[in-house]
Amino acid sequence: MVGDSIHPSTGKIIVLKPALLNPFWRFFGYFWRFHCWPDHLLSCISAILRASSPPFAAMLSQLDSLKTEALTALDTLSDEAALEAFRVDYLGKKGKLTALSGGMREVPADLKKEVGAKLNEVRDAITSGLTVRLEALQAAKDASAVAGIDITLPGRPGAGVGSLHPLTQIRDLAVRTLRRMGFTLADGPEIETEWHCFDALNTPTDHPARNESDTFYMPDGKLLRTHTSSVQVRTMESAKTLPVRIIAPGAAYRRDEIDATHLSVFNQIEALYVDTDVSLADLKGTLEYFFREVFGPTTVVRFRPHFFPFTEPSFEIDVKLEAKGKEARWIEIAGCGMVDPAVFAEISKKRGDSLFDPEKVTGFAFGMGLDRLAMIMHGISDIRHLIENDVRFLQQF
Amino acid sequence: MQVSLNWLQTHIDLSSYTTPQLSDLLTFAGIEVEGIEVKGLATDKVIVAQIQSFEQHPNADKLSVCQVDDGSGTLRQIVCGAKNFKAGDKVPLALPGAALPGGFEIKEGKLRGIDSNGMMCSSKELGIGEDTGGLWILDTDLPIGKPINQIVESDTLLDLEITPNRSDLLSHLGLARELAALTGLPLKGVRDHVQASSTTRTAKADEVTLAATDGCPYYTARIIKGVKVGPSPAWLKSRLESIGLRPINNIVDITNYVMMEMGQSLHAFDLDKLSGGIVVRRANEGEKILALDGQEYALLTEDLIIADHQRPLAIAGVMGGEETGVIEGTTNILLESAYFTPSGVRRTSRRLSLHSDSSYRFERGMDPKQVQGGSDLAIKLILEIAGGVAEAELRVAGEAPALVSTVELDEVRTHRLLGIPTLTTGDAHDILEKLGLIKQSANTEKSLWTIPSYRLDLHRSVDLVEEVARVIGLDRVPSKFNATFASGDATDRHYDHAMQLRQALVNRGYNEAQTLRLISTPQIEDALGNPLAQAGAAMLKNPLSEDLTALRPSLIPGLLASAALNIRQGASRLRLFEVGRVFLKMPNGMVREEERLAILLSGPASPSSWHGRVTAAADVFDLRGVVESLPGVSALETKALKDNGTFLMHSELKIGNRVLGWIAQVHPARARQIDARQPVYVVELLLSALRQGSTGPAKFTDLPRFPGMTRDVAFELPADVSHSKVSAFFASIKEPLLIKSELFDVFTDPTGTKLPVDRKSTAWTLTYRNSEKTLETAEVEAAHARILAALQKALPVTIR
Repeated sequence: MVGDSIHPSTGKIIVLKPALLNPFWRFFGYFWRFHCWPDHLLSCISAILRASSPPFAAMLSQLDSLKTEALTALDTLSDEAALEAFRVDYLGKKGKLTALSGGMREVPADLKKEVGAKLNEVRDAITSGLTVRLEALQAAKDASAVAGIDITLPGRPGAGVGSLHPLTQIRDLAVRTLRRMGFTLADGPEIETEWHCFDALNTPTDHPARNESDTFYMPDGKLLRTHTSSVQVRTMESAKTLPVRIIAPGAAYRRDEIDATHLSVFNQIEALYVDTDVSLADLKGTLEYFFREVFGPTTVVRFRPHFFPFTEPSFEIDVKLEAKGKEARWIEIAGCGMVDPAVFAEISKKRGDSLFDPEKVTGFAFGMGLDRLAMIMHGISDIRHLIENDVRFLQQF
Repeated sequence: MQVSLNWLQTHIDLSSYTTPQLSDLLTFAGIEVEGIEVKGLATDKVIVAQIQSFEQHPNADKLSVCQVDDGSGTLRQIVCGAKNFKAGDKVPLALPGAALPGGFEIKEGKLRGIDSNGMMCSSKELGIGEDTGGLWILDTDLPIGKPINQIVESDTLLDLEITPNRSDLLSHLGLARELAALTGLPLKGVRDHVQASSTTRTAKADEVTLAATDGCPYYTARIIKGVKVGPSPAWLKSRLESIGLRPINNIVDITNYVMMEMGQSLHAFDLDKLSGGIVVRRANEGEKILALDGQEYALLTEDLIIADHQRPLAIAGVMGGEETGVIEGTTNILLESAYFTPSGVRRTSRRLSLHSDSSYRFERGMDPKQVQGGSDLAIKLILEIAGGVAEAELRVAGEAPALVSTVELDEVRTHRLLGIPTLTTGDAHDILEKLGLIKQSANTEKSLWTIPSYRLDLHRSVDLVEEVARVIGLDRVPSKFNATFASGDATDRHYDHAMQLRQALVNRGYNEAQTLRLISTPQIEDALGNPLAQAGAAMLKNPLSEDLTALRPSLIPGLLASAALNIRQGASRLRLFEVGRVFLKMPNGMVREEERLAILLSGPASPSSWHGRVTAAADVFDLRGVVESLPGVSALETKALKDNGTFLMHSELKIGNRVLGWIAQVHPARARQIDARQPVYVVELLLSALRQGSTGPAKFTDLPRFPGMTRDVAFELPADVSHSKVSAFFASIKEPLLIKSELFDVFTDPTGTKLPVDRKSTAWTLTYRNSEKTLETAEVEAAHARILAALQKALPVTIR
């Protein structure tokens, strides 16, 4: 557009604000832009031209040669600064074309139309030549700006790649899945009383798990919970209404030597659902959905009858793992069952009310080792990787 | 428990089941099959051979050169390392080409220069027995040349995990009984040994005295005189060997056999070595016993023992004594068959770390009604195998306790618990009857059942429901799923918040660590001396090792240990964090559990790449920047604390009055111990404090409609005037147009050339805006001038 200019360093076209254009361009640009020449003006020009034909003829040839000169000069220009200088030289306020167009005043009125047309033609030619040249130069510059860049090079690392621990990931997957099924989270202390960890869960007084060789004790007689099942007890102890539908992810402790398959501190997730009419069918449905969500829709699980003091009937759950070229294996993954009435009885005794009356409520519970789940899911061969925090390990997840 | 399929088949014909089918059947009845092993020789190139003669190998002291008759008509020369044979013995001979278990093939060859054309074998080498003591000496009446695999039948061994409630399955008869219930197949012989064949009389006080009836309410003894102790017959040896028991002598083998056959643990004493009758009592202070395993055990007064009138003879239910055991030369024996209460046996066995097949069974509970039947079976075998004469009557002390009674099955309860619509009363009753329960009475709602004496686990209605569920299996249970709305509480919010923090750190390039909650005593040092530390660490009463003695009072020790491991592996750029629980020992001795977040930073500020290999080391401001970016953190304030041996640049972090945590550089002396080559920075924050900062949804502030103006100012001030003082000045100044002050440069010159060393120059950008109108330059200039004047008045600064 007339009046626009090219920024000397960026090469961008700057749209000049109206106030910055000189009065001539404000005036002339108006006609140029709208191709609307008022009749009275045209007749005036032609009268002038007719009155003095020699300046008129000279002016026409001057315009022609100016055009030739300008277009030839344009071809030699190779940078944007030179183009800007050219523009000022020809089209600027004191430019050559501007100077020539000053002669219009002397053109007879009846010829003004012809000269004006010529003037326009020359201006258009120079302007468009300038635009073409400028676009060509910009195109060349744009191309050279990216020339030689090897796009196959790797990206900038930024702050580097962080990672969530695989146990966090598997725990969160379990939590998200179970929350969608209508479970909420529950928590409890890891330093527990023997009552919460064993007594309330129908564990015989001389059960081996209570032994100091199997369980860590604190000097005051409390212990480090051997399972997250103690959270079941805590939840029922303080529940205000039914149903109780909770999950409790957390750490548990066993006095085991650390080796490739054992940690003395490990991670579990526990679930408990108690209401007036919870059956084995609810347990089966919940766990089947859960494992399909975690291991994929074609997952096959089996329930093997088992024994736990705090559930009856009790089952262990195996998931069928199929790997290419290998025989499918059943991997034991969780324990579950219907809450033993003895547990409800003990809770009721402690609460002193009948919310968990063993004759009125039923419930299911399940628990699983998250470390084992993570190992199966990711093919981790040695459980110690989960606690060593070797960055080469962590960054794989 | 090891179970021999051949042995099992003496009770029930399982030939219609393949091993995998049998394995599934057991597994889905709650008896997990942990292993299956097929025993026996596949090759027929191992034959019965007779050693005709042998002589010392000329070149080797320990080898003999034997001439062996293999039935071919010509003697075969074999070089042998065993010593337990004599000329005329029949032994298994592996001919060249025979493949032995373990893929070991026999070839003709020379041993120390002498030809050896085969190998004479032990039962272990053939995969038939456990005996490695030398050649397997075969019965002399076996025909020479007969393949061994025609003599020793192959067998399948099942390794079963019997749950602790099912002590009745700890014998072949018990398992056969269960399989009969599961398959509907009949038992070949008796169902149990409750019905005794012997007659009894009450033991006289000088024969058997029960002095601790809570530990042993029922004891029987039978005297057999004139037995001939010797090796067991082949069938008995092979039965025991098949399940991994070592044959000892006929009497001991019979007691072991009866235990594995029907579950009753017995003990045979050499009657002639007893002084007076049997006393079942608690051990006296200081008593010791030399047990059959050759170890001497010091007994406590809570331990139940079998004694004579002078000394302890056996640790009740656990192990017999060495001195009174049955050995070759014993002629008269006293056979004990008794019931010991589980808890006592468990306590003693565990305390002494002495576990036997016997203690395993007594601990889980044995059927007291089969004490006499077990004794009867053993006596019958002893008389058959070892001869002798048994006393007519069994001496009995005490009474067999009644451990089972009748139990009610409630239909409504069964359906409510199992949720199987297709389950009929008939189905349930059928299952219970197959399991040996006897229906006493029944109506539409309830039925009453008599429990067999061996099912010590069935006491309550729910126990019967469990039996039904176990036998039916979960296949018939429909999958039901009723999700209900659950409103989350604080625990849910805390979980989400912790996940949000983790994700924020992961997005900043940090790796999440999870360290053990137990740490070593030296590691506690890394957790102390910080503003969050309380009275130290909570120590375990019974740690397993020196490495894990205390509950962590901070996440820092674990992160430092992880850093050390990574540095050893060659990593230098460490960005670790952990979110987890710590355990604070409070001044009052209680232990408080608290959730924290800790971050560890060390090494180059950015990862190396082709854009630049070496980058500057990260510093404490990188770590502080991470903290400031966490959700809930704004206007972080620091309060410097004194350095200590473990931490430098040690500061408490606060938001207003709320303590958020602390930040520090690990003392270089400590960092050198873990071989860190670049400074290590740590921060530990309280999750509860972080949560307080991020409550509720964010409130929108309207965007400014009028442009602002900025003015820069640079000023010099003493180096020890902290940034926080200057920023506090800008924050507190009452100038309505000033909306923001931002530090953009701090300059110091340690050489003192451009600026004295005790001075620093800082530069700030101040932003002015009026929310109601476009600012006039003059207003801004005036406000800026007022601020600079106030600044010079408030702080020792020189405007540049």
